[in-house]
Amino acid sequence: MSDWGRTRTSTGQLKLLLPALIPVLLFSLIPLIRGIYLGFTDYRLGDPIQFNGLANYVRMLSDVFFWKSFQVGFVWTLVVTFAQVALGLGLALLLNRKVRFTSIYATLMLVPWAMPPIIRGIVWRQVYDPDAGILNGVLIQAGIIHQQINWLSSFEYVIPAVIVAGVWGEIPKAAVFVLAGLQSIPKDLYEAVRIDGAGRWKEFVHITLPMLTPVLAAVVSLSFMWNFNTFGIVWVLTQGGPGGLTRLPMLAAYEEAFRYGYVGYAAAIGNVMVLVISLVLFSYLRVQLREQKQ
Amino acid sequence: MKTRTFIADLLTHAGLILFMIFLVFPLVWMIATSFRPTAEIYSGTVALLPESPSLDHYRTIFLEQKIFTSMGNSFIVGICSTLIAVLIALPGAYALARYSTRWNNVVLGWILGSQIFPVILVMIPLYILLRSMALTDSLIGLTLVYVVWALPFVLWMLHGYVRTVPLDIEEAAAIDGASRSQIIFRIVAPLLLPAIGASVLFAFVSAWNEFFFALVLMKDPNLMTLQVELARFTGMEGQARTGPLAAASVLATVPSVVLFGFLQKWFSSGLIAGAVKN
Amino acid sequence: MKRFILVGAGVVVLGTIVFLLLPQGEQTDSSTTRLRFVSLAWQEQALATNRAIVAEWNAAHPELPVEYVQGTWNSVHDYLITGFETGDVPDVFHYESSVIVDFAMRGFLTDLAPMIEPEMRDDILDVAWASVRRPDGAICGIPFLMESFIGLYDVDALSAAGITPPTFERPWTWEEFRSVARRLTVDTTEDGTVDRWGAAIGLRNSANIVMNLSIGFGGSFFRKVDGQYVVRAGIEERELLSTIHTMLYADRSIAPSSVGQSGPAMIPGFFQRRYAMLIGIGAWGRQQLVENAPRDFRWGVIPPLKARTQDIGTSTQTLSIPKASKRTAEAMAFIRFMLSKENMARLALSDWMLPARASCLEQAEFNDPATGWDVTTASARFLKTGTWTGAPGYVEWKSRVANPVLQEFFSGRLSLDEATARIEEESNVVLSRYQEDGR
Repeated sequence: MSDWGRTRTSTGQLKLLLPALIPVLLFSLIPLIRGIYLGFTDYRLGDPIQFNGLANYVRMLSDVFFWKSFQVGFVWTLVVTFAQVALGLGLALLLNRKVRFTSIYATLMLVPWAMPPIIRGIVWRQVYDPDAGILNGVLIQAGIIHQQINWLSSFEYVIPAVIVAGVWGEIPKAAVFVLAGLQSIPKDLYEAVRIDGAGRWKEFVHITLPMLTPVLAAVVSLSFMWNFNTFGIVWVLTQGGPGGLTRLPMLAAYEEAFRYGYVGYAAAIGNVMVLVISLVLFSYLRVQLREQKQ
Repeated sequence: MKTRTFIADLLTHAGLILFMIFLVFPLVWMIATSFRPTAEIYSGTVALLPESPSLDHYRTIFLEQKIFTSMGNSFIVGICSTLIAVLIALPGAYALARYSTRWNNVVLGWILGSQIFPVILVMIPLYILLRSMALTDSLIGLTLVYVVWALPFVLWMLHGYVRTVPLDIEEAAAIDGASRSQIIFRIVAPLLLPAIGASVLFAFVSAWNEFFFALVLMKDPNLMTLQVELARFTGMEGQARTGPLAAASVLATVPSVVLFGFLQKWFSSGLIAGAVKN
Repeated sequence: MKRFILVGAGVVVLGTIVFLLLPQGEQTDSSTTRLRFVSLAWQEQALATNRAIVAEWNAAHPELPVEYVQGTWNSVHDYLITGFETGDVPDVFHYESSVIVDFAMRGFLTDLAPMIEPEMRDDILDVAWASVRRPDGAICGIPFLMESFIGLYDVDALSAAGITPPTFERPWTWEEFRSVARRLTVDTTEDGTVDRWGAAIGLRNSANIVMNLSIGFGGSFFRKVDGQYVVRAGIEERELLSTIHTMLYADRSIAPSSVGQSGPAMIPGFFQRRYAMLIGIGAWGRQQLVENAPRDFRWGVIPPLKARTQDIGTSTQTLSIPKASKRTAEAMAFIRFMLSKENMARLALSDWMLPARASCLEQAEFNDPATGWDVTTASARFLKTGTWTGAPGYVEWKSRVANPVLQEFFSGRLSLDEATARIEEESNVVLSRYQEDGR
């Protein structure tokens, strides 16, 4: 039995994986493939399904609503991803200093993550409420504004307002991942530099950042995917308004399918989303890998 | 040197407190709102603590809504899907960590790939599939969906952790005549407790928080989950609703926040293993 | 290894068994033998009335119990549309005329026309029937509540300014309304900012208000050209838009907070006397006034403003039966009970909306001046059905084109010309796909 670690046939492995793979195959993979296929049909709820090739994608080219929603989607995804990773990194660095009460801080910071997305939306709706919201209350009392601002219906403020709420909900995730990465950096690396008399900043630039790169790349990639696919919080906050200004791609696809019944077109939007995410991630990760090799 | 560390610590605390205010305050505000009478909510004054706290809104939601039923449903679905997900993920994670065949790439590829696809692609085909199996409008159907929903993360986290378990422990057990399944469940699993804790937490919270699948799959009012039940409130305009909505939201948030608090330690160490050992 | 697979399979089986033993099973059983009724009532009184009527039915018909299902306006669409697809539908559902005609077009609903008794057919107003009738004569739902917009005024504000309130006999024109609003806009503290605005109108999703009130100006938006619907925003359609815009930006007599708020959300500000008049609010908004107004706050209802006419567009709330329901006759029997003369009056009173039956409108409760019912009921004679009723794609057009463009227009980001041009242009994008379908 000394070859214990080497009895590694693929059938043996498959047997162990099977209990997990069967439900995945049934409830994730098969519906997914079917869903991708629907993107190439004219399927409208209540009608028979007919293959229509690329007709959905041709329509998309001249669909102003589609273009607008992808534009907003990009702004949202890039800003939220960048802000959440930057702030998450900052928070993780602070937590990693292990001052007193760090475990309390580390627990508290998880609050937004623990909240259901629907409730995250509800909470921020109450913060932004023009009459009863804390934000207007404080700003008016401080004399910064004189008229109540309707944050979620105003063309000027709605995008920043929604982005703040979005970043808020995503910071903990980023911080937890980055913190895990920070804690796995071997301590002796720092000691070596400290002997050389390097300052904090140098330490950060020459050791922390390079050692964190793989983790950061993973966080950025995952966040990018999750943010591009956001639905719940924006749905509760604005339902895509005002003027369709916050209609993220997922909201647009949802409306197509469940409001108007154009399932085929909704699936086509879904397919384009997958394509876009894959392309962006592919090029991002390639650059990352190249830099790492150098 | 000492004063420098002191100042640095002070600044760290200041930074952390700023973060905490931003991260926790909206919840605090909602809790405060849930105890304010309606007139006070709309009075336009800014105060953290309610002037005349009342439990009216909590009373309202317990009387009016099927909050208890839906909470019960959420608990059942959450616990069952968590148990099943972790039990079937354990051998899978073990297999991923201890074997290296082409299946590794397939499964790890799926774990990452599953994050790319928007739910909308899966939703309608899944609905039709479950319907044909008579599993819509059924807590079993919803549980199965949530198992699959949680699996990528659980598998990933557990397999990262299995790698940290030294092989010689297993070899010793094998020499003593233990079978593969005994090794997984009796030897390896106990060593994985932190990761299992984190997985349990994650799977439960993601089921508890999930909204979209439940919204589409469940039609029977007696089988609604808490999130869907709560979403009803947001559809109802008018100032009389703000308070009850806050109260219901507080109730829905408490279980996940408490769980996060309990399992926080396990969670971060579990993530380290999952995130970094790859 | 085999043992392991057995264990794994055992766990799954065990989990499933545990489920089957859980008490949820019996609830599912009972719901299959009941008629399922989805109601969208949400005001507290209306909820109570709906439940009470269902309970009375259940007491009288133990052989055919009805299960009351609380739906919401936000989620009912997804609920129904996935249900239609798979046949998992309620037997009776409450919704709104402009949407159900769309459902009917796609073949999801039972044609109720053959099942309607003469008593009901003759009693329900023609304008209500027009909102649910398909071109082929099919009726896709029984209308029971009629939407109508009313205006409200603060009695003390008007009398302090020496303004005679309008009456049903002597209604205001839009011009009079405009000049009154200007007079009522005041800076009482003289700090350079307005403390009370003459008027407010919830413009958050304003397509409904704009289209229904434009009818008085002769506006129709939807026109049939060669058998296909096209959207035009000509002189008649532009009149109301430019009036509101002028009041917002030139006169500065409509509160800027109107942009981006819904009508009901402006009621607290009305109580706080930040607005002297509130127009374009659903008749049901009076419920909040009756229940939440401060004790010393006195209010009155403004009769429909006169443009060319006082006509207002309406849509109705309805009860329908999906085609997939297996018990159409039983469902219709329940609808007949639910919408009998007495019960429809109860529903309308508790929801503070106009009942669709002429006989209900005559009852004393609907003519009480203290609750504003008198003016509201009297204005029922001005209700008309818009030309857009039954236009394929109207629902999508409203939320995709009209609401967003009007939001931009009222917030001052588009000129009137730009707004109307965009409405016409984007309408083509939306409506074309419905016409491709030939529906």
